[in-house]
Amino acid sequence: MTEAKGCVVEAGRRSTFAEALRANQAMVFSIAYHFLRDRPAAEELAQDVFLQLYRSFEDLDSDSHITFWLRRAASNRAIDYLRRRKFRAAIALEQAPEPSTAAVEDDPLLNRRLRALIASLPEKQRIAMVLRFQEDLMPEEISKILDMPVRTVKSHLQRALALLREKIGRSMGEIR
Amino acid sequence: MNDFEKQIRDALARKEPSPGFEARVLAATRRVEARSSWWNGLFSGRARWASAVVAAVVVIAAVGWRHERDVEERAAGEAAKARLEQALKITSVKLAKIQEKVEAHESN
Repeated sequence: MTEAKGCVVEAGRRSTFAEALRANQAMVFSIAYHFLRDRPAAEELAQDVFLQLYRSFEDLDSDSHITFWLRRAASNRAIDYLRRRKFRAAIALEQAPEPSTAAVEDDPLLNRRLRALIASLPEKQRIAMVLRFQEDLMPEEISKILDMPVRTVKSHLQRALALLREKIGRSMGEIR
Repeated sequence: MNDFEKQIRDALARKEPSPGFEARVLAATRRVEARSSWWNGLFSGRARWASAVVAAVVVIAAVGWRHERDVEERAAGEAAKARLEQALKITSVKLAKIQEKVEAHESN
């Protein structure tokens, strides 16, 4: 009897978890992918995040809580992953080669170039940029996810934007 | 948000993982569940008593083995000490005899 009840609870839990997985997989995978710029590594990391979610699922009481938890877990794991494996997917920003063809608005080449430059930013700037522009979060929300003061988040974002603007501007100037 | 920031937002648009991702994660959770239910089964119902008995036997055996080792080590230590004392006594007797001979030789 107790066993049967346990199975029903377990099935309910599994189905709620599957819904959460479906709703959030693109978000978690994309945080990892834009941070690491390596699809297999990003999938592995996203899977670990969801397994961690599965273990803590009963402690999370709402969709917004789950989303917050996932963003935080994905960000922290991405940073840890990079530190642990000394993973350098992208070349340093200052040494990144300039694009060989003209970059125009809505150009996939420019998007690719931007992603490469973002992936080569220092880790804190990079994760702040991913959360700001992929997840459309405000600095106050990012500060809660990354456990850092709002002032620091704003400073990371400003520095990252300035670096990107300079690099992209330079390459556009050279093309003109 | 200016044009540059909009461009960054486009570049960082969400992407979908590969098609098998969801199934892989669900399969992994099932494996986690199976492992945890095996572990929980070990500590539930009648198995709980069996596990407790096995654990107690293991602990008693480990404590007994440790005690046995301590006794053996102590005995070996005592034997070594006795051998050393014996050797020192023999050396001391021999040295005394040598000293006697030297003194006798010097007095002659």
